[in-house]
Amino acid sequence: MDAIIKFANLVFEPIINLGAAPMMFIVLALLAMLMRVPVGKAIEGGLKLAIALTGMGVIIEILTGNFAPALQDFVKSTGIELSITDVGWAPLATITWGSAYTLYFLLIVIVINIIMLILNKTNTLDVDIFNVWHLAIIGLIVMYYSHNLLLATLLVAFLGVLKFINADIMKPTFNDLLNMPDTNPTTTTHLNFMLNPLIMVFDKVFDKVFPFIDKYDFDAATLNEKIGFWGSKFAIGVYLGAFVGILSQQSIQTIFTLAFIGGVTLELFSVVGTWFIAAVEPLSQGITNFMSKRLKGRKFNIGIDWPFLAARPEMWAAANVLAPIMLLIALIIPGNRILPLGGIIAIGLTPALLVVTRGRILRMIIIGTIMLPVFLLSGTAIAPFVTETAKSVGAFPSGVASNVMITHSTLEGPIEKFLAILVGELGANFNIQNLAVTLLALAAYLALFIWYLKQMKKRNQKYEEEKTA
Amino acid sequence: MIRILAACGAGINSSHQIKTAIEEEMKKRGFDVKVDTIVIKDITEDTLKNYDIFTPISKPKFSFSIEIPVIEAGPILYRIPAMADPVFDELEQVIRNLKK
Repeated sequence: MDAIIKFANLVFEPIINLGAAPMMFIVLALLAMLMRVPVGKAIEGGLKLAIALTGMGVIIEILTGNFAPALQDFVKSTGIELSITDVGWAPLATITWGSAYTLYFLLIVIVINIIMLILNKTNTLDVDIFNVWHLAIIGLIVMYYSHNLLLATLLVAFLGVLKFINADIMKPTFNDLLNMPDTNPTTTTHLNFMLNPLIMVFDKVFDKVFPFIDKYDFDAATLNEKIGFWGSKFAIGVYLGAFVGILSQQSIQTIFTLAFIGGVTLELFSVVGTWFIAAVEPLSQGITNFMSKRLKGRKFNIGIDWPFLAARPEMWAAANVLAPIMLLIALIIPGNRILPLGGIIAIGLTPALLVVTRGRILRMIIIGTIMLPVFLLSGTAIAPFVTETAKSVGAFPSGVASNVMITHSTLEGPIEKFLAILVGELGANFNIQNLAVTLLALAAYLALFIWYLKQMKKRNQKYEEEKTA
Repeated sequence: MIRILAACGAGINSSHQIKTAIEEEMKKRGFDVKVDTIVIKDITEDTLKNYDIFTPISKPKFSFSIEIPVIEAGPILYRIPAMADPVFDELEQVIRNLKK
């Protein structure tokens, strides 16, 4: 046994010591070759992840280098403690894919999927491999607090199972929202829909107390057209940069610099984001080939990324309206330290609002407003972890002051992040009190999810009745 | 050259899968196509004027009507070749009808 460990150390240590980007380049390229991807393509994929990690680091450096001093002045001149830079989702996804543990959590989720399919506990085959990062980041948070891989695995597995059940239960709603025939297999296991239970609590309040509000729903597509380019990435970067510059009382010249730096970095995050999608691609295709070959004859729905729902204008109208609301909430909510920037178009929230309310735009906006503080506080809570992890994978500039932090203001699964922190703290400090708090939180989470399933079953039964009527 | 526009939620993941798949398959079938990607929210009436074909994941609702052919490219994302083929066949048919 000792000999095996020694040998493994001999092989792996030099690779690990190279740092995250070189290591993931080697690991992903080798994995792709294992999946029988041609050597050239495999190396191309591996390189793209490495340059994406490096590229994110460069952009984060430009952004924090310019914004961090202004945000410090912002705190001084306004008295509002908003010093964490919001980089949006693409850097976080890249950073998470920069950790080898993400591949481990991916394996766990695939095994769960296969077992659940074989046991008929789900009807969804998940081919959205890329988005496993949402579960992986939860596992990484647990590990950040406790270094306890077992607890991290258990939490990821628990949430993974619920996500598959959720993908099944939402399917009739997807068909309804997008006029898809029953033969269309599209569904999604995306983590953002794990907020459905909480949203549904508020939706029921509307059903009982304010059903009349739906009368005032407006046409979402028209609103989106009017907003036009003002809602696009670079425009948001420009006016949020200017906003920070003005409130932190910078010179006119610096205000312009901040505005344009904001615009360019938000655009660049997306560009670099597309690089590492290409890196994960061979892996996604290989896993899908493997699973579909072994499941021949079994009929199933297919889980893809959420944007098939992006066809509905309501989710964009809600995101557009929620953006300025979020800025306001960020300024006044106690405990928030994020100044919204990269995540201000809340695509981590509005798809779930769309599914629960089925496109009732006013409900989406009002319930969305209630949800935003949860996202901001969750984003604040994970900022030290995000910053530390970015540093460890080489996607964070070393020259930046140690109190400068980054996060994502509207990261999917805000409640799950709090659960991860609780589980992580339990692992770090195993005592009765922590155990009780964690178990209670998990029980409450599960109870709410079960209640939600019941409501969705009722909804799906109505869909069935309408079909036969 | 045929200009195609693919769209998704962030212009990063799904639309790039569609872009890569369409460019690869249409090259195999002997057509010269170029696919751009965009966030669906950022599409205006003018944007679509620069393209011959629009390939969203599922058909979106805009405040204006879409004047170019729309092909729902969602099945490409299933990563199962047999399910993507009808999309490519439809695309090929539309390209032939464009007579470019």
